[in-house]
Amino acid sequence: MDCIGRKLLAALLLIAGSTTGSFGVEGDRVVFPAVQQESDRLQIHAATDVEAIRPLLLDFQQLFPGVSLEYVDYLTNDLFRDAERTCKSDTFFADVVLSSSVDQLVKLANDGCASPHVMPSPSRVPEWANWREEVYGFTFEPAVIIYDSRTVPPEDVPRTHDELADLLRLKPEAYRARIGTYDIQASGIGYLLAYNDSRQAPTSYGRLLESLSRADAITRCCNNEVLAEFQKGNIRIAYNILGSYAYAAHLKNPALRIVLPRDYTLILSRGIMIPKRSTQKRLAGAFIDYLLSPRGQTVARESAFFFTEHAPLPPGVDGPTSVMESGIGRPIRIGPALLAAQDRAQRSRFIADWSSLMRRVPSVTP
Amino acid sequence: MRNPEASLFSRLLLLVTFVLAAGAATLLTAAWFYARAAADDAYDQLLRGATFQIADGLTVENGHLTVNMPSSAFELLGLAERDRIFYRVIDTEGRTLTGYEDLAPGIETAAITTTPTFLFSRYNDDDVRMAVTSHAISDPSLNGRAIIIIAQTTDAREALASELTTRASLLVVVMSIFALIATALALRYALRPVSQLAELLRVRGSQDLTPLGLAVPRELSPFVASINHFMSRLDERMKLLQRFVGDSAHQMRTPLTALTAQLSLIDEEGLSRDHRHHLTRARDRASELALLTNQLLSHAMVIHRFDSAELVRLDLTDVARGAFRAAIPITIDPDIIVSFEAPEQEVPVMGDSLSLREAMVNVIDNSLRHGVVSRLEVRIARTESAALLEVEDDGPGIGREHWEDVTRRFVTTKSGKGSAGIGFAIASEVAAVLGGELLFREKSDVNRFAVIIKLPLAKE
Repeated sequence: MDCIGRKLLAALLLIAGSTTGSFGVEGDRVVFPAVQQESDRLQIHAATDVEAIRPLLLDFQQLFPGVSLEYVDYLTNDLFRDAERTCKSDTFFADVVLSSSVDQLVKLANDGCASPHVMPSPSRVPEWANWREEVYGFTFEPAVIIYDSRTVPPEDVPRTHDELADLLRLKPEAYRARIGTYDIQASGIGYLLAYNDSRQAPTSYGRLLESLSRADAITRCCNNEVLAEFQKGNIRIAYNILGSYAYAAHLKNPALRIVLPRDYTLILSRGIMIPKRSTQKRLAGAFIDYLLSPRGQTVARESAFFFTEHAPLPPGVDGPTSVMESGIGRPIRIGPALLAAQDRAQRSRFIADWSSLMRRVPSVTP
Repeated sequence: MRNPEASLFSRLLLLVTFVLAAGAATLLTAAWFYARAAADDAYDQLLRGATFQIADGLTVENGHLTVNMPSSAFELLGLAERDRIFYRVIDTEGRTLTGYEDLAPGIETAAITTTPTFLFSRYNDDDVRMAVTSHAISDPSLNGRAIIIIAQTTDAREALASELTTRASLLVVVMSIFALIATALALRYALRPVSQLAELLRVRGSQDLTPLGLAVPRELSPFVASINHFMSRLDERMKLLQRFVGDSAHQMRTPLTALTAQLSLIDEEGLSRDHRHHLTRARDRASELALLTNQLLSHAMVIHRFDSAELVRLDLTDVARGAFRAAIPITIDPDIIVSFEAPEQEVPVMGDSLSLREAMVNVIDNSLRHGVVSRLEVRIARTESAALLEVEDDGPGIGREHWEDVTRRFVTTKSGKGSAGIGFAIASEVAAVLGGELLFREKSDVNRFAVIIKLPLAKE
């Protein structure tokens, strides 16, 4: 099923008003009824797997038993499009918007679509994960390489970006059409990670892209689709997968192994923002406070996103013990610099370059 | 509250406070303008840098203008952490290449130059600072100019401006307070001669009409000169009056002596009882008149002597002994015990012996006439800095409430009993001229009533 079909399904589900839905598929609308008598309802529009965030939502409801949560899961680009459209027409969209594509949230905030929320204890948020008290980053998610330990011999396991590029050059046949990554045209987070790769290490990014292209890499719109291809055995190595989703998949399938690149690892902090037309600003603020509270962070580390800034890597992950202190972690700073990524000309040019490289007719390997 | 007109100090201070407040207000306004300018300068540099970086990203590819938005430009603008950024790049044909299509340049297109123009504007209900610049494109395939517009909200520059203003204001306020305190101290210092003058006038003896000998600032000297001029005129009039009184007394003495002689010639035997009684009263009045005339004369004499005579060093005991002898009449009632005590050592004072003697005679005489019942003691004593003459009697004394009155002329406590004297007045004036004073000691269980002439000891 392609992305457009998925959107159609999501739309149909919304029209049907299904409260049960089928979990784990992007585009779902899920309602978490209040634990007690419902007094408030919080609408969360998100580009985050409901499965991943479910423990946090349920725990939040323990603190606010009268609150029912309506959770709608989008693709990052669709979420951005809808949020931008409703902002321009000044209509209600959601009480809270949550997205892994923080550049899109920054763009929304820059265009005046956000409502600020002042935290009671701002020191809980790293300085790089808060812009104008309007966009907060509440997770710590490294972009990782995953491989299938059953089909990738240990000597092939890439531990840096260059090693991955070299592997594809040296063993083109073994991995042809067996490498997966995002379609950055369809995936906002894919674009953000690729853009930051190109800024972080332009040369090795160029080489890697070329190698992926030569190896006929499979591109999919989203994390879950790449992971699904992986589980089906179609992909042996996937690049730039968010660590949180990867680790959840690893728990289900121990053959899936995770590597944090040792040259540099991009760190994404999933963003959350209150739209200016939110009708539940106080409750939305309480939700943000909860996500950033020690309690919320503990739940996130244990059962939702697995990685946090100040805790060691979860067991079974191949990487430096302390991502930030070793200097390998490169957080994607939530701030105006991300506007460059959201520049229309910049974006279309970047995607055009990427597409022209990835979609060209496979060349004969040297 | 006291009327500010009442005090030079508060008038001046009020005026200075107004001036300082006006100055502080001016400085604060200036500080605010400077702070605004400084903050604008600082943050305009970010805008300028960003326009240059974006201009660098303009390239011509296959005859088309393309822009590569450098994220460094946004990072630069992001130094103003909380500010939102709007931008627009317009190509040679006037089409929006990228950015916010509704962001208007704010100035005439023709006025846009290659050096950025900065202006304040509004975009989507936000106050923004805008930099507008053009970039000449000279490519064989494309000619013209691109326009770059960058706008940034003003949070950071306002925060900086208000911080700078706050600091400057603090300085200005502190300085103003210091200036006010300094002014108050300076005023107090500058006005000190005025209070000194007032003090000098206050402690001055009531008889002292000599010119004020105080060095005063130039501004006060006309005032002091006026006082001195007034006092000298008063002094002259006083002297004229006294001379008149002295002359009058002298003139009266001759007819008075004749009157007394005539009265003594009247044959009492030939008079009826009533007429005899009248004669006795006429004699009494005549002798009272003689005493008064003598006192007026002696007063005039005393005043005259102080105008002319030089003060010399005297032994108070010698003068007092002379006065004692002169004051006690030979015809004194033998039942009255009279004594004179003096220390063995000298009691030196600066004075004029005749005036001093006159003063003492008057005090002793007053005591004999009005005080003494059976005892009169005249005593000379010295303390560390003063010489004392005490005239003590066992009479009823003078009540404390009358002490001030009796030193004035023609006031007596014994109304109707004859003698409206000027004895104490003479003694008091003499004492005052010699730098001393006339004192009284109250009658008590322990002490008898005493009149004391206190004079400063002459320096060795």
